[in-house]
Amino acid sequence: MTEAPHTVKSYEEELKNLNSNIIKMGGFCEKSLGNAIQAITTRNSDNAESVIKDDEKIDKFETLIEQQVVNLIALRQPMAIDLRETVTALKISSDLERIGDLAKNISKRTLLLNENLPKNLVDAIIRVSSDVQKQLKSILDAYLERSSAMAINVWESDEQIDDLTNFCMQEVIKYLKENEKNLSDGTHLLFVTKNIERIGDHTTNIAEQVYYLVKGEYLEGDRPKGTEPIVTGEK
Amino acid sequence: MIKISSKNIDVFYGKKQALFNINLDIEENQVTALIGPSGCGKSTFLRCLNRMNDVIDICRVKGQIMINDFDINDKSCDVVRLREKIGMVFQKPNPFPKTIYENISYGPTIHGMAQSKNEMDEIVETSLKKAALWEEVQDRLHEPGTGLSGGQQQRLCIARAISVKPEVILMDEPCSALDPIATAQIEELIDELKKDHTIIIVTHSMAQAARVSQNTGFFHLGELIEHGSTDKIFKNPENKKTQDYITGRFG
Repeated sequence: MTEAPHTVKSYEEELKNLNSNIIKMGGFCEKSLGNAIQAITTRNSDNAESVIKDDEKIDKFETLIEQQVVNLIALRQPMAIDLRETVTALKISSDLERIGDLAKNISKRTLLLNENLPKNLVDAIIRVSSDVQKQLKSILDAYLERSSAMAINVWESDEQIDDLTNFCMQEVIKYLKENEKNLSDGTHLLFVTKNIERIGDHTTNIAEQVYYLVKGEYLEGDRPKGTEPIVTGEK
Repeated sequence: MIKISSKNIDVFYGKKQALFNINLDIEENQVTALIGPSGCGKSTFLRCLNRMNDVIDICRVKGQIMINDFDINDKSCDVVRLREKIGMVFQKPNPFPKTIYENISYGPTIHGMAQSKNEMDEIVETSLKKAALWEEVQDRLHEPGTGLSGGQQQRLCIARAISVKPEVILMDEPCSALDPIATAQIEELIDELKKDHTIIIVTHSMAQAARVSQNTGFFHLGELIEHGSTDKIFKNPENKKTQDYITGRFG
């Protein structure tokens, strides 16, 4: 729903600015995740370094958004849709910041891995990560378009990511069992896989926020879950 | 529980219609805020509830307002008794040009509520205590009410309103002439008073409506656009006009 502009133009500008900062921050996260996956699957250290460096930008966006939200609440006392815009911006920025951190962690581990990883592991990582990347893109589009239907799609797709994560984990465990020398790389790969899955979870969090933003109601019901995670035992 | 039920209320000032088919239920022992832009009819509606519109010659009210299952627009309704049951506090504090004591005792005297001076003293003290003014004025009860500060005068008017034990208190922008501290005192008072009274407040301050009320009604151009829990109205209103008004997108 396109809203009519506010009578007070500066207030309108502040809300637009907040919105555009979320979009920009989301764009940086997309880029970082893309680079992090590129780095680990093509063994590209430069990409990994740039992800580590860019995390600072993402962190700064979170601080900026937090300040904007506090200012809006203190000085404008937003109501209804404006209140939801303000509150969800705060929560979404926090999820995006975590996505940035997880991409950075993947890249740090990438720099510690051996040059040659077995192809089946690389393929498994590509499969789960490409789904997560799509999720992130979709949820940022949903936010931009204020689409609760797109948000629900993202929310429901988390199940598939869980399944692909478990498959990837199983592959890594097999690799670990093959040879004691695989212990270091295999452990890093377990964390990498878990990080990718966590990024998926954050996109699901954002989906819940987008739904609330648009509808003013919370998404009801349990989150869709895939097969039980085999390594962490988390539910 | 519903305390006041208004059904199909139309109000006309001469040929001009000010309210259109208002159907609004007011819950007992809760605060209901009426919001909306100037001229939307919220004060006109408030004035229907104790038939204050009777004093305006050209004003005609159609429809039913049931209070305790009694239609106050019925010919048999005793307006003096009605206003005993439904008190009113106005925008500008309007104490009588009399002493603080007499301001309070005036209503109970008219309604024959006290048999002795002791009983009247008690009514005055209780009313002032309920209006959170007793501490400040107990030593100068026989000084003019008009000598008090604006906030104190408004609390005196509230004390005067509650002295006759009304079931409902109507407040028409009671804080618009007050500073933030006096406003906070009145808001705290409203919160206390709702235990014993049903309160309906007209306010231009949406923040105040959000702070003090449990239910809110939004009026626009003489129509009741939306009515519901204050929580819902300010977080997720159903009507776009309500949303545009409370978020400052009007006009």
